[in-house]
Amino acid sequence: MASVAFAPVADLRAARAPPRPSLLWAIGVAGLAAGATTLTLALTSGMAAAELGEPLVVALLTVWLTLSYIFGGMLAWWRRPASRFGPLMIAAGFTNFLSTLVLATNDVLYTFGQALDLVPPIVFLHIFLAFPDGRLKGRFVRVLVGTAYATAIGLELVRMYFGGFGPRNLLEDHVNPGVVETALKVQLTLVSVYCLMGVGVLVARRLRGGRPLRRSLALLVDAFAVGLVMIAFLFVSAAFGGPWVAQIRWATFATLSLAPTVFLIGLLHARLARSALGELVVELRGDLSPSDLRDALARSLRDPSLELAYWLPQFETYADVEGRPLDLHTLALGRATTLIDRNGEHVAALLHDRSLQDEPELLAAVTAAAGIAVENGRLQAELRARLEELRGSRARVIDAGQKERQRLERNLHDGAQQRLIALSLELSRLEQRLGADPDAQLRLDQARREIALSLSELRDVARGIHPAVVSGHGLKVALESIVAHASLPVRLRIDLEGRQEEPLEVAAYYVVSESLANIAKHARATSATVDVSRMGRQIVVEIVDNGVGGADTERGTGLRGLADRVEALGGRLRVWTPTGGGTRVKAELPCA
Amino acid sequence: MRVAIAEDGVLLREGLSRLLEDAGFDVVAQCGDADELLLKVRSYPLDVVIVDIRLPPTHSDEGLRASLEIRADYPSVGVLVLSQYVEVGLAMQLLADSAEGVGYLLKDRISDVTEFLAAVRRVADGGSALDPIIVSTLLSRQRDDDPLTHLTPREREVLVLMAEGSSNQGIADKLVITTRAVEKYVSTIFGKLGLPSTGTESRRVLAVLAFLRA
Repeated sequence: MASVAFAPVADLRAARAPPRPSLLWAIGVAGLAAGATTLTLALTSGMAAAELGEPLVVALLTVWLTLSYIFGGMLAWWRRPASRFGPLMIAAGFTNFLSTLVLATNDVLYTFGQALDLVPPIVFLHIFLAFPDGRLKGRFVRVLVGTAYATAIGLELVRMYFGGFGPRNLLEDHVNPGVVETALKVQLTLVSVYCLMGVGVLVARRLRGGRPLRRSLALLVDAFAVGLVMIAFLFVSAAFGGPWVAQIRWATFATLSLAPTVFLIGLLHARLARSALGELVVELRGDLSPSDLRDALARSLRDPSLELAYWLPQFETYADVEGRPLDLHTLALGRATTLIDRNGEHVAALLHDRSLQDEPELLAAVTAAAGIAVENGRLQAELRARLEELRGSRARVIDAGQKERQRLERNLHDGAQQRLIALSLELSRLEQRLGADPDAQLRLDQARREIALSLSELRDVARGIHPAVVSGHGLKVALESIVAHASLPVRLRIDLEGRQEEPLEVAAYYVVSESLANIAKHARATSATVDVSRMGRQIVVEIVDNGVGGADTERGTGLRGLADRVEALGGRLRVWTPTGGGTRVKAELPCA
Repeated sequence: MRVAIAEDGVLLREGLSRLLEDAGFDVVAQCGDADELLLKVRSYPLDVVIVDIRLPPTHSDEGLRASLEIRADYPSVGVLVLSQYVEVGLAMQLLADSAEGVGYLLKDRISDVTEFLAAVRRVADGGSALDPIIVSTLLSRQRDDDPLTHLTPREREVLVLMAEGSSNQGIADKLVITTRAVEKYVSTIFGKLGLPSTGTESRRVLAVLAFLRA
């Protein structure tokens, strides 16, 4: 088994400390102040009423949007200090607040707010793409978000420079309605495209993930994607005059303001998961077999894609509960790894969805609860791996013997046998040239006979060393010959298509030839049958005679040797030999 | 008669080639593997090819496969397969459809020059040559209620020679009897074994083999 170099992707110790309470208090107060400011501005501004109708509804929605992101972000930061998602949400809330300064009566604040008018959609895009750990992964995504911010602010400044926002716009310098019109269309179109590209990235991530994300998180991502599509539709409609602008605007507001709530549901889900820990403890108390442990862990961590890899120090590899080696590098792709230690010794690795990294307490609790069960599982994996190794080494020994016999047979065939035939041929030609010398003729003839006898003996030796006909022409041909040479009538039935793997064919050949030899020696049978057939993923070889039965299966090396051969291939050899009831030998050989 | 040889042992290939040339054969090609043989069969008009059953590269069944291919694609070319072991199962494969222009002999038989050359000529002329070991194995095969026990020793001898592919003339020469006597034996044997009498000598071989194998 190959050793696997292993780099832990994350460790329980890597968890970061939560933010200080004073900081959270300060943010909370600032958030409330921001909300109050927006509310005041909205109610005192006539502009909002003209644009959206109900000033109170608009004000409340905007404030809700600001506050839900700020407070949702605070909760996320507090509960998931390892993730940057909380601070990012807080930043989104405050950015939303700053853009509402456009409602201010003060010209400086108004100009500032107007410049940030289209930033909130980009912030949402940023948040969606940064979910769940708050980081933008991949160069493409980072460039996309950066460009989106630049477009939203840059083109807004261009539009303000060329006028179109009235006298309170302090940036106005050259009034040019044509440029403003074009800039607006370009700006809205580009922002729409960025949002749709963001959706594309999210879809691609889900497809590439290939395995079920934890359910609540998948739901969240889907909700996000809908919001982005709505923003894109809204902006394209605004730029080119599409239908249902008002309705979509409300729907977008609703979706975006629901997003933080969905995230809070995600948090609550983690609390639910912790109650699943109780179930795990109960299951562990019962008769939880090591093979069911993975499923129990997957249930309590709500991660169906979870894998448990036991560390086998003797083999320097990770393995599953059956002792089969696992390639952790492949398994760990796109997943997080948590190492499980017991009494200072590394026992296993848990490969799980990355979102679980946000719940280190849950991971720690579950792995601690499962400690003894994991240790048991590791012992079982180790035992199975050792058995497998033993079986493998037995197969290798027999295979090496087989290869050596094959080589010897080949050497005989190409060497001694070939030379003897050539020699005999030479003698024949000599004999023909010699003409009529009776004495010489006689002696040459004798010499040729000697050679013929040697060849015949060599042939028997070679066949005994390795049945070349099996490797050359397959089981069917070889068995026909054995049966033809048998000392009693044998009915042969072969129900097999094509060739099988050579070790299997050779083993089956030996089972038949040894069994027929035993029958000839001991059974006093008058007939026998040989059946070879495929049953699912097995080749079954069965030899039955009508002899006296009662064969001694313990003494002698014949049957033992056969059993070794069959078992080394992962098969089974059984013998039924009741006294007076004939003998049945059945070999089951697993095949591809 | 034009002949091609496929045999990877140089010593034997050369010996065989000299033997055939001394006997007046035209050895058109000496090949070391099956691909070369197939190329020569495609390129030259040949009467017979002599093929070692084990040929490079794997020394398993290349020779046999080449022989079966030649038999299928060039029925006018006789195929004589040589091997250091003979197997009933392989004989059945070679003679699956017809015994015309085919032979399967132990390599040792080469040194019995007269017999061997006769076999080569027979196969080249569309007859058959089956190794005595095959025939004796089939004959000695254990059967329930064996009809062969009803044959006289002389009839048995004729049956063996017939199965090996000998012509009536050949059998007559070997047993030092007249061809008329041989014909009589043949029809008696077919009658005792319950076989319908067949036309050519090679069809006769197939019928006898099928009977012996059943």
